[in-house]
Amino acid sequence: MSAFLVRRLGFAFITLLAVLTIIFMIVRILPGDPAMVILGDQADAATIAALRTRLGLDRPLLVQYVEFLGGAFIGNWGTSLVTGRPVIGEVLSVLPWTIELTLAALAIGAVIGIPLGVWAAINRNNAIDYFTRLVSLLGLSFPAFVSGIMLLIGLAIQLRWFPVISGQRGTFSQWAMSLALPAINLGLIMAAYITRVTRSAMLEVLSEDYVRTARAKGAPWRIVVWRHALRNALIPIITIVGLYLGVLIGNSVLTEIVFNRPGLGKLIVGALNQRDYTMLQGMMVIYTLLVVAINLATDMVYGLADPRVKLQ
Amino acid sequence: MKKNLIFGGAISIAALIAASGAAFAQKTTLNVGLASADVGVMDPHMNSSTPGKSFLQQIFNGLVRLKPGEISPGEIEPDLAESWTSSPDGKVWTFTLRKGVQCHHNYGEFTSADAVFSLARAATRETSSFSSDYAAFEKVEAPDKYTVKITLKNTIPSLLGIVMNYHAGQMVCKAAVEALGQDGFRKKPVGTGPFAFAEYVPQQYGKLVANDAYFRGKPNFREIFYRMIPSDSARDLAFQSGELDLYYTRQDQTSFNRVKQLPGVKALAMNPAEMSVIHLNMTIPPLDNIKVRQAIAHAIDRDGIHQFRGRETSRQAVSVVPSGYLGTNDKAPLLPYNLQKAKDLLAEAGHPNGITLKTIHTTLPGMMTFMEAVQAQLKRANINLEITPVEHATFHQQIRQNLSQVVHFQAARFPVADVYLSQFFHSRATVGTPTAVTNFSHCKVADAEIDAARGEPDKAKQIALWEAAQTKIVNEVCAIPVNESLQLWAHKDTLDLGYQLKGALNLGPGVLETSKFTK
Repeated sequence: MSAFLVRRLGFAFITLLAVLTIIFMIVRILPGDPAMVILGDQADAATIAALRTRLGLDRPLLVQYVEFLGGAFIGNWGTSLVTGRPVIGEVLSVLPWTIELTLAALAIGAVIGIPLGVWAAINRNNAIDYFTRLVSLLGLSFPAFVSGIMLLIGLAIQLRWFPVISGQRGTFSQWAMSLALPAINLGLIMAAYITRVTRSAMLEVLSEDYVRTARAKGAPWRIVVWRHALRNALIPIITIVGLYLGVLIGNSVLTEIVFNRPGLGKLIVGALNQRDYTMLQGMMVIYTLLVVAINLATDMVYGLADPRVKLQ
Repeated sequence: MKKNLIFGGAISIAALIAASGAAFAQKTTLNVGLASADVGVMDPHMNSSTPGKSFLQQIFNGLVRLKPGEISPGEIEPDLAESWTSSPDGKVWTFTLRKGVQCHHNYGEFTSADAVFSLARAATRETSSFSSDYAAFEKVEAPDKYTVKITLKNTIPSLLGIVMNYHAGQMVCKAAVEALGQDGFRKKPVGTGPFAFAEYVPQQYGKLVANDAYFRGKPNFREIFYRMIPSDSARDLAFQSGELDLYYTRQDQTSFNRVKQLPGVKALAMNPAEMSVIHLNMTIPPLDNIKVRQAIAHAIDRDGIHQFRGRETSRQAVSVVPSGYLGTNDKAPLLPYNLQKAKDLLAEAGHPNGITLKTIHTTLPGMMTFMEAVQAQLKRANINLEITPVEHATFHQQIRQNLSQVVHFQAARFPVADVYLSQFFHSRATVGTPTAVTNFSHCKVADAEIDAARGEPDKAKQIALWEAAQTKIVNEVCAIPVNESLQLWAHKDTLDLGYQLKGALNLGPGVLETSKFTK
C-alpha cells in the first residue's frame, strides 16, 4: 500500500511538472498582452511598455520560467497581474465553492443514477428500461447552460423557491438554497452518465453464473441484485465517476456563470480573457492537483469496492 | 413515521425558502448587477474598466464633479473644492477645498496635501494608467491647508476634466496610501465619497457601506452590493426575481423592449454612447487611394445600421467625434449612402470588379453583429470584407500591431473633442509608433488644427479649430463614423436615484447620499 502511494505520488509529481511547463508555454504563446488589458484602450505605447517592465513580462522567458517553477513548488504563486491580489488567496477563496458543488452533484448523480441504472437493468427491454434510457439520453444531450436557465425560470422566477444568485453564504438555509439549483443542474447530468454505466455493468453481471446460482439457491431477488450483482458492477461505475469528477471540475464553468456562483471554472475563464498569466498558472497547479487527487482516490476506492483489487 | 418525515421535510423546505427570501428584503440595501466577473484592480488611478469605474465612483470624489446624471463638460460643479479660479492664460488654477471633509476609515481630514499627493500619483506612470493626461502639469502646490495650486506648462483643453470624479481625477487619501502601501490600498481603497469600501469577495460582490460623515450628508442607503454577474441572462433573471435593484442589461434593442414591458421597471438608454467607427488603414493598398475610401463610405447605409441596432438604443454618428462632445462638428460633411456612386468610384480607382478587404475583428457579439451588417452592406457595392474573428484581447493586440486593413473600434471618451481627435486621428497616436494610442488609419491631415486647438485659450476659436479638424478628417475619409450605442440599464421604479439620469461618465449610474427607495 505504501509503495503504491509513493509510486503514485511520484507519477503525480512528474505530471504536475509537465503540466506546469506546458501551461507556462501556452499562456505565453497566446496572443494578447496583459499590460494592454490592465491599462485599457486609452493607454499609449510607452505606458504599456512601462507596465510590462513593472510586471516582469519583458524579462527572458527562461528567467520567468525558473522563477515560476521555484515559486510553484514552495507555494508562492505570485499575485494576479490584473487585480494585484495574491493568486493563492484568489484560488483558495473559490476552491471550496467548486468542491462543494462537485460533491453535491456527485451525491445527486449517485443517488439518482445508481438505482435508476439497476432498475433499468433488471427490467431489460421493457417499458421501464426504454423510459430510463430515454431520460438518461435527454440528460446527456441537454447543455448545462440550457437546463440551468430552465431551472432558474421554473424554480427561481416562477415559483420563487430558490435564489437566482446562488453564490451566497450566511445561514445554513441560505447556503443550502444557493447550492441546490446548481447541484441539481450538474447532478442530473451526472445521474444520466451513472445510469447508463450502471445499467450496462449490471446487465453484464446479471448474466454471470454466480447470479444464476444464487437465484437457484433461493436467495431473494433483492439480495441478489443489490448485494451480489451491484457490488460486482461497481468497478466501472467508480471508474466513470472518477473520470467525470475531473471533467466536472473544469466543465462546471457554465453552471457557475448561469447561477452566478464563484468557482474555479469562472476564475479561469476570467484569467484567460484578461491574459492573467500568474493566475492561469496558479489555476493549472490546482486543477492538476485535484485531478491527480481524484485519480488517486478512485484507485483507493477500487480496493474498497472489490477486495480482489490489490493496490500494487 | 413516513408521514412525519414528509411533514418535517416540508417544514424544512418552507423555512429554507422563507429565510432565503428575507435576505433580500432590506429597504436600505441596494443591489446592483454588473456585467463582469471582477471589478479589476480597486484603484481609481489604474482601473479603466466599465465595472471598475461604476464601483469605484462611489468611494471617491474629485476636486470638481459633473452634475449627477450629466456628462456635458459644461455641467461641472464643486466637489471637494468649493470654488476655483484660473489665470487669464489658463495656465494657473487655484482650488479652495471644503473644510472638514473626512477620509474613510479614520484616515483624517482631506486637505490640500492629499490633493497634491493624489495628483502627483495620477501623473506618475508607475501608479497611474492615465499619467499621460497629466503631462502638461508643471507643478502642484499646497500654499495652505485648503488651497491647491496647479501650474501648467501649457494650456490644455479641459483642466477641470482631469481633476473631476473620473479616472485619475478621483482623489485618494495620502495617509491611507502611505499606511497601506500601493498594493494594500488596492485591496482596501480609501476615499471621501458617500460610500466606503467594506469588502470584496472575488467573483461575487463588492460591498460598500454608508459614509455617515459624508460632507453632503448621511446617505440613505446603508449598504450597496455590486454583484458580479457576467451572464446577461443571469443578471436579467436576478433582476426579475427581485435580487437586483439596478442592473446593466443586455445591450440590444430587443432586450431593451422586453425590459421596458416588465411591470415596475424603468429602462434607461443613457450617455455616453460608444461610437462605432470603421478606420481605414491608408498605408495599405487599395485603401491608400482616396476614391476607394470614398466608395466604402458611400456604400455604408448609416440609417440602415441605425435601424438594425435599434432606434431607441443607438443613434447615427454625425462626425468623427461622437455627438454631444464639446467641439463635435454636427455638420461634418459625411458622405451619404449612394450605392451607384460607390461602384462608380471603385471603377474610377481601377477596381471595376470590386475589391476585397481584410479585417481582424473581436468576437464580442455586439461588435460582431454590427460588423456583419456592414459587411453585408459593402457586399452590395462589390466590396468583399473578409472578417477574421479573434478573441477580444488578441484583437486589441493585433490591431495595434498594424495587422488589420480595416479596424472597427467602438469607444466613448471624455466628452471633449480633443480626446477623440488626439487618440484616433493625430499622427502621434499612430499604431506601430512609440507614442501609439489608437490611430489605426495613420491619419495626419488635422495635426495642426488639433495641436492649435489644445493651446487655444479662446473657447470659440478652439471649437472652430476642432470643427475644422473634423471636416479635414472626414474629407480625407480616414475613418467612417457609423453609429453610436447608448448604455442600457434598468432599475426598479421604486428606486429614486435622486437626480435625472441622462448619462454617467463612469458608465454606471452613480448612487448619491439622497438616493433611496420610495417604497
